[in-house]
Amino acid sequence: MTPMSLQSLNLPGVGTKYEFVTEKGDTVAIFFTKTGVIQMYTRQQGCNTPSAAEMTPVEARRLGNILTGAIIEADQESVEVAFSALAALRITLHAYIIPESIAGKTIENLQIRTKTGATVIAISRHEKNIINPPASFVFETGDAALVIGETDQLKKLECELMVD
Amino acid sequence: MEGIVLALFICLVLALITKYLSVPAIPFYILAGMILGKAGLGLVASDEISYFFSEMGLIFLLFFMGLGLKIDRVIENRSAVLTSGIIDLNVNLIIGFVAAYLLGFPIREALIIAAAFYISSTAMALTSLIDNRKLLMKEADTIIWLMVFEDFMLIIALALLSVGDQNLVFFAVKILFVLGILYALAHYGKEFLISILDRNDELPIIFTFAAVLTTASFSMYLGVPATMMVIALGAAFATTDPDAFEQHARPFKDVFLIVFFVFFGVTIDLSGGADWFVIGIICVLAIVSKLVSGILTGIYIHGSALSGLEIWGNTIGRGEFSIALAVVYGSPVVGMTIAAMVIVTSIVGSFVAKYSTSLRRVIVRFGRKSAPPRRIHIKH
Repeated sequence: MTPMSLQSLNLPGVGTKYEFVTEKGDTVAIFFTKTGVIQMYTRQQGCNTPSAAEMTPVEARRLGNILTGAIIEADQESVEVAFSALAALRITLHAYIIPESIAGKTIENLQIRTKTGATVIAISRHEKNIINPPASFVFETGDAALVIGETDQLKKLECELMVD
Repeated sequence: MEGIVLALFICLVLALITKYLSVPAIPFYILAGMILGKAGLGLVASDEISYFFSEMGLIFLLFFMGLGLKIDRVIENRSAVLTSGIIDLNVNLIIGFVAAYLLGFPIREALIIAAAFYISSTAMALTSLIDNRKLLMKEADTIIWLMVFEDFMLIIALALLSVGDQNLVFFAVKILFVLGILYALAHYGKEFLISILDRNDELPIIFTFAAVLTTASFSMYLGVPATMMVIALGAAFATTDPDAFEQHARPFKDVFLIVFFVFFGVTIDLSGGADWFVIGIICVLAIVSKLVSGILTGIYIHGSALSGLEIWGNTIGRGEFSIALAVVYGSPVVGMTIAAMVIVTSIVGSFVAKYSTSLRRVIVRFGRKSAPPRRIHIKH
């Protein structure tokens, strides 16, 4: 059997449709509608009625990340960036939810950069973003911190600091 | 002017409510217009400004439709498009015309009613497919292409209805002349059009607005139907960057079209008396005849009458194009009849489309029950 053949189709007035049949014979179809919502349909082989889920573009991107395996845990997302001109440089951006154990401490107290080499570049707290937080920044439980560094630097950070 | 403001404000509230309930908004805009206007409280009357706004709404609706017409795609799919399209056209046009003629409308008015009776609302059909999550059903493709076929038939209807007493050959030459200009513009000016659309300033939106208005007034000057020519403009522009044009034309279309619907309601005049018997029959037939064409299409294309139910549910609603025909060509009596038909069919349609899957299940179960019980063979 040929590997999954993806069909894309432009439906007048509706939007773009992507459809493929999996190796097991199930059908998956995605519609990017002109209204901006994205609908995903799945139909099990031998079943007549499909089931559908409607998503916003943000939700769809999240789902895409999960399917490509970029996310290990739902609240810990990471992206690895590689530039063609700098093939040897592989940098990872990782989001962490701040655990109770380090709440109340500052970036300076924790010595994040000296200990691990990774850098905190942004914090999201209650829908507010703090870009490039100062060393005196105090973490709170539930803050989402975006950290940049090489993979082993981030591993070190996880082992030493992000433990409950 | 205060009338438009009041009407727009009411429509804003109606839009919120209908979006929340996910029912089509068009019938409620017309009803609001009827309540505010001549037929109701008489608070709002149409004037030159509302007339101009309505006109804008109509031409932007048609321009938008033209942008969606991809002729090459239709030719690729012609076998599927033609079968369902021809069944739909014949069944509904004939039932609509015969009914209107027998109910006492003169031939020309019966033809206009038949055309409005035939053409389903593309907006309602597509919204109902998306909202009810039916895009993957095999009937969805049939319905989408049916709407495209109906759009083409509307263009032909607009041309035929506006010939009037002009010399047919001269009329055709004029139309071909304008079509030629539009085609040449899109073909030879493609690079220029795309370079304008790529800009980030106000130019793309000004250009879109001006192009549509210029085409409309130029056609009126030449005596060819402006409605048809703005569709052609849309189809010509669709060969460049239809998404960009849609994006720039959408605000004009959305706002002016609401004015168009409300003031269609406002101008409906019941003082001459309305024959509710005639209107009632047309409304019921409008629902039944789409059931007939739906079932026939279901049998021919999908080999199942039950598929027809699905097609029926999503195509019952008549809307924007029926009203456009009523506004451009209809007399007050025709206008009232089409208004009632749009209101009834769009509301019924939205309910049937929502519950068609359950309806199908009930029919299948009922069919099983009434079938003769199978004999059970017992081995001795």
